[in-house]
Amino acid sequence: MKFDTRTLILMAAAVVINIIGGQIAHFLKLPLYLDSIGTILVAILGGPLAGGITGLVTNLVWGLILNPVAAAFAPVALVIGVVAGLLARAGWFRTWWQATISGAIVAVPSTIVAVPIIVYMFGGVTGGGPDFAAAYLLAVGQSLVQSVAFSNLGINIIDKAVTALIAWIVASRLPLRLTSNFGFFEHSRV
Amino acid sequence: MALLEVHDLVFLFPRAKTAVLDGVSLSVERGERVAILAPNAGGKTTLARWLAGLLPDGVLKAERGHVSMDGKDWTEWHIAERSAAIQYVGQVPSQQMTGCAFTVFEEIAFGPCNLALPEAEIRARVDEAMTVCNLRHLVDRDPFTLSGGEQQRLSIAAALAMKPRVLVLDEPTSNLDPESRDDLLAQLELLPGELTIVVLEVALRPSLALADRFLLLDGGRIAADGSALDVLTHPRCIETLGMTAITEAAWRIQGAGGWESGRPLPLTLDDALQTLKVPDAVR
Amino acid sequence: MASGSKQEAGKQSLLFTPGESLLHKANPLTSLVIMLWMISAAAVLPTAGTAILVLAAITVSMATGVGKRSVKRLLLTMTPIGVALIVVHGLLIERPDETNIGFIAVSPDGLDYALKVFMRVAAMLMATLLFVTTTHPSEMLKALDQRGVPPGVGYLVASPLLLIEPFSDRAKAIRDAQRVRGLDLTGSWKARITALPVLLMPLITLALSDLDQRASILSGRAFRAYPRRTVINAPHDSTFQVWFRRILLAIAILQLGIPLLWRF
Repeated sequence: MKFDTRTLILMAAAVVINIIGGQIAHFLKLPLYLDSIGTILVAILGGPLAGGITGLVTNLVWGLILNPVAAAFAPVALVIGVVAGLLARAGWFRTWWQATISGAIVAVPSTIVAVPIIVYMFGGVTGGGPDFAAAYLLAVGQSLVQSVAFSNLGINIIDKAVTALIAWIVASRLPLRLTSNFGFFEHSRV
Repeated sequence: MALLEVHDLVFLFPRAKTAVLDGVSLSVERGERVAILAPNAGGKTTLARWLAGLLPDGVLKAERGHVSMDGKDWTEWHIAERSAAIQYVGQVPSQQMTGCAFTVFEEIAFGPCNLALPEAEIRARVDEAMTVCNLRHLVDRDPFTLSGGEQQRLSIAAALAMKPRVLVLDEPTSNLDPESRDDLLAQLELLPGELTIVVLEVALRPSLALADRFLLLDGGRIAADGSALDVLTHPRCIETLGMTAITEAAWRIQGAGGWESGRPLPLTLDDALQTLKVPDAVR
Repeated sequence: MASGSKQEAGKQSLLFTPGESLLHKANPLTSLVIMLWMISAAAVLPTAGTAILVLAAITVSMATGVGKRSVKRLLLTMTPIGVALIVVHGLLIERPDETNIGFIAVSPDGLDYALKVFMRVAAMLMATLLFVTTTHPSEMLKALDQRGVPPGVGYLVASPLLLIEPFSDRAKAIRDAQRVRGLDLTGSWKARITALPVLLMPLITLALSDLDQRASILSGRAFRAYPRRTVINAPHDSTFQVWFRRILLAIAILQLGIPLLWRF
């Protein structure tokens, strides 16, 4: 499939939004990633394929300039975009509360894809925040896969719900002349 | 046949209630230098994009009317053919960058590369455009690290490298400091005479000195079309855009019978001095 | 002359470090295939093999002049991973061979596994770092253009690479300006959550505001007019490199596949 030029530019801008969101969450020392705002925004405006590719490209670009480990998680970012796009097509991004719930839903498949990467490639650790939660779960007797899954799911649900809410607020405030070119956005209009 | 022709163009943004362009008709001849004046939010950028063939685009379509070049509707042009015929330069310098060129050289070469021209031809075009726009010393710089004035010169160079016959400039100097503005205008003055230029402005700015024909876009229609004198002293133009201090002074002097009515009203002090034949030594 | 000097084109935000080494001069696709081969080797080699790979890659990075940057990045990424691996596998996961040292039970098998994962990730990371520190993205994109990859794909990678630095700078400027106006960025939870939209929203709006104009500019410059565009200063390639790539890629695939066949 070939995206029109406007969608392509939106996707490139969204990659920048993802990375800047991640950096701001980091300066504010928030226990969230906020690195998928752009991905979910593209999913709402351009659909699952555009959203998925935005996620994939974000992690590859992140790998090129900041941290190559991010590239290993590119499949996770892809799933976030695709699932958010499918939810948008189903009309699950019409209101702020739907967007928040959709975000929480997106956390589930994205965690399912992330867990095997974390467990088999990285031995269950990421060198980041969820390691502490995973270590605690391991200490109380859970298996490695369960500990990684629960610790990441917990953080992901909150992170993706907040991310989806921010993406929804941005999308709903965009001027008409900008959104009118994105036909897919009709699925999210009230 | 006029070079560029807008025929009864009516255009609304989707879901908007009022038309931005409400029956605009105008034509531009080969080699003309035209200024289109419009009040703020008067549809100026929209008209500029229609003129340059960038609209219709996707769901943005005309309600009525069309725009054509060489008598051929823009919708019938192939993108490569159109971009070699007309170029548009907008008002915010950083937004005129393609956003995918790592150097000034690549930015200028971007369009010709897309036309799949031979490498030697592209190098020659980039070279020429860099000379005209005084960019040689910046050839390897990242476009996003340039100043606003340099970026605006770069976007004009990139437009010229497409060898267009028409250049549409949408408020080319509004985001520039006075020094970069004067540099840019000096460079624009040097452009070849056969190049047709359309400048769009929302205020009386020095870039208007480039034009020898003026149009006023008001209420989505062309309200006046003629010389600087005709348009700048048109009541709607005075009401919405005001006058430059010099024009106003000359206009009042004219009212008092001190300025021959045949003499064009000046836009700048230089114009006034020239019209009044003040000798160079006094200037 | 034109666009010859990578020195000036080198952006701060990139891991790319200018140089004149063989890896810098190699066709970007050759460097890419070397990276893929190293990742594939890291996936199948035992600990001793991955350790040698890491050391070899560090030696190469020193020799090509990108050592300082690569090793710094390697340590920054691998230190927390290493600590977490030791804690998780050496101490927390219960294994039959645990032996008590003082109050804690340490598992030598777990530590072995931790070392195995550590070296594997380090080898893959060094493979990637060698590639990104010696290959300028614009050269990589030209190599892709030359292979007939559609211009849209190149745009999607090039545009964020170029825009991130100005946006990061703007994010810092907004943060500093808001701090001066008394926005609390280090205080309580609530204060930091309140600060989030103040920092984030202007940047998102800014990133999206260029969209319409940029679409006009790209369309005006004949973007995607034809499926292939002219490539200026195309990266050098040679028959030797083409064959080298083919063979290395075949080895990369075989070395992943053969151990799998062995198991069945």
